[in-house]
Amino acid sequence: MTDTIRHRAAKVFRRNGAGWLLMLPGIILFGFFAWVPLLESIRLSLYNVQGITLQDFAGLSHYVSVFRHPDFVAAVRNTFSYTLWSLVIGFPVPIIMALIISELRRGKSLFKVGIYLPNIVPGMAMVLMFSFIFIPGETGVLNIIRDRLGAEPFGWLTNPKWTIPLIVMALTWKGAGATALLYIAGLQTIDSQLYDAAIIDGAGIGRRIFHVTLPGLYNLMRILLILQVISVFQILYEPLVMTNGGPNNASLSLMQLMFRYAFTDYNYSLASAVSVIICLMLIILTVLYMKMNKEQDA
Amino acid sequence: MKRTLSVLLMIACLTGFLFANGQKDSGAAKGATSIKLGIWPEDTLTGDIEMHKGYVKAFNEIYPDIKVIPAYYKYATDTYVPLAVSGKLPTIYETWFTEPQKIMKNGFARDITAELKELGWDKKMNESVRNLLSSDGKIYGVPRDAYALGLMINADLFKEAGLVDGDGLPLYPKTWDELAKTAVIIKEKTGAAGLCLLAKDNAGGWHFTNIAWGFGANFVVQKGNKWVGQLNSPESAAAFQYVSDLKWKYDVLTPNPTNEDWGTGFRAIGTGSAAMYIAAQDAVNQPTQVNGLPATSLAMAPVPAGPAGQFSLMGGTPYMFSKSATDEEVKAALKYLEIMGKAPVVSETGLAGLEADAKNRADEGIPVIPAFPAWTDKAYLKAQQDAIDAYINVDMRMFDSYYEKVSEESNLRTEEPVETQALYAELTKVLQSVMVDENADIPALLEMAQKNYQRILDDTVNK
Repeated sequence: MTDTIRHRAAKVFRRNGAGWLLMLPGIILFGFFAWVPLLESIRLSLYNVQGITLQDFAGLSHYVSVFRHPDFVAAVRNTFSYTLWSLVIGFPVPIIMALIISELRRGKSLFKVGIYLPNIVPGMAMVLMFSFIFIPGETGVLNIIRDRLGAEPFGWLTNPKWTIPLIVMALTWKGAGATALLYIAGLQTIDSQLYDAAIIDGAGIGRRIFHVTLPGLYNLMRILLILQVISVFQILYEPLVMTNGGPNNASLSLMQLMFRYAFTDYNYSLASAVSVIICLMLIILTVLYMKMNKEQDA
Repeated sequence: MKRTLSVLLMIACLTGFLFANGQKDSGAAKGATSIKLGIWPEDTLTGDIEMHKGYVKAFNEIYPDIKVIPAYYKYATDTYVPLAVSGKLPTIYETWFTEPQKIMKNGFARDITAELKELGWDKKMNESVRNLLSSDGKIYGVPRDAYALGLMINADLFKEAGLVDGDGLPLYPKTWDELAKTAVIIKEKTGAAGLCLLAKDNAGGWHFTNIAWGFGANFVVQKGNKWVGQLNSPESAAAFQYVSDLKWKYDVLTPNPTNEDWGTGFRAIGTGSAAMYIAAQDAVNQPTQVNGLPATSLAMAPVPAGPAGQFSLMGGTPYMFSKSATDEEVKAALKYLEIMGKAPVVSETGLAGLEADAKNRADEGIPVIPAFPAWTDKAYLKAQQDAIDAYINVDMRMFDSYYEKVSEESNLRTEEPVETQALYAELTKVLQSVMVDENADIPALLEMAQKNYQRILDDTVNK
């Protein structure tokens, strides 16, 4: 009896052992750097802590404190606003770029490199550059241009209505190129016979885009949309550096609220509570989105 | 065969991976005391490093068996907690004046009451500064400097605008009204901003409390055993109206106050893009050494007076200690401070330390001016003054009015006592609204700020 078990175990090991051993370093690394911290931050959010040493169980009281914080509502509202603006501004731009570049007859590579270049600018440099561009006084780059055109200087980031859209524009400037490359790759997988068929049927360029190209990119768009939502939802350093969440919380994001709890207050329970809240919101959004897609596909 | 080999290789890789970082640092030999100096200057400040090498030499002559290890640590909120929790903080380090209460509350600070008592330094510490560095009657730090806010002035711009007296000294504004008028003249004559006002982060609220005190505002008071915020008082509204006027009526501020913080303010003064800035005497190296203004072009005046009087916000920049430091190590670190001349002890080495510091400041183009007394020991204060006298590199008349005002005990105020950073955050938000909107509804904004701050008070200190 035991012999057969041993025999079987040995067989399983012979078959899969090397594979598991191969994966083990990765699993340990992942566990140590991703999963344990993830679970640990949930635990932190439920305990009173001194520094980061757990003291006693606090239940959901930290979550209540976060909800009661005067800046929480603004942070949630802004975070959704960032996400929506990034869908309005940031989502179509790479698709349009990809369509234009794929239609080019000459200089394709040049433009591919060109749109990707902003992506290799370090994030902080990009943020500082846009801070100069958006200076609200007479010395700002955009205001100098306005001045040449005979217009008054504008407030740019200091205008609460414009703060978030402008930050999203800066984000898009940096990120759109990389996404466009993915779309260009996607475009190449579309069967050229479909275009030929469309042309024979008398479809102009507009109809070709709407009836062949976009449906061909649909699956890719779906994935990139949810990835974009997840990444923009966690926006932190752009508003942190450009506006520090201001003016009067007009650009404060949830991540920045977490950052403040962690690094200006050293209150890691509350910081963890915020990050768990962010995580839950993203899970809900993703599940809803997946469900919607499934219904559509069915 | 091949399979066995690959399995064996895999195991070898794994063990290598697991133990790759297992080497423990051997550390100093047991028994001998060693101190890690987080207060060591950063690599680029070669003059300062030479000075500290001198200190170490003097230190080792007196205490040959204590090993001094340079361990430059620039306090940063993202590195502090991991270092503190893992016991890797240097024995002694410098932090910001905003931090001690937070560090004490989280249990990262080393109680040094016993060591200070043994040296008798606890009684020689300026009382307000001691309170800032204490919690539950225990002392957790010693002051590097005390500071009192004043009005830092770029004297070149004043000269250019013709705002100087017969001796060429800047005619500084004595009241907030005068400041507005002075600022207008500066902007007209030189094109530079009159004042750099901060509204990017909590430093904005911090400076603003000092302005608002002059208008009669008191932001938080204790009623019974409850703390009550008073952000929505008419006095604080008047102060906000005043800064709003600076922006919209007189237009004398830098282009975007909501992007100005402590550091950019010094840059503005140092590079001549603004003529006045609220700052303290312990930061005179910022406009000069850091931003290139000649020491002789810097002046300091008291914070202007408002309708309710003149006040200067004071505090202290602390040295704190690693929680894992032994008594011996703390004592050794305190001795090192003594050699630097930062301790209330008049000794030959201490005097030499003070002199070396003054000489270094003069060499680096930093104004050599009296410190603001963090210690009350008379003999020490006199020694401190004597040590710098020979090195004074500025016309002290440019600083006299500041030192006169801050020596009036009644004008000095410490920060508002509870949930100070939350208070600053609320005030900063209002400031930002006022700075970006000419027609901001100040009373409504203040109502909101009051509600928010009171809620924080009720959730924390009133609980």
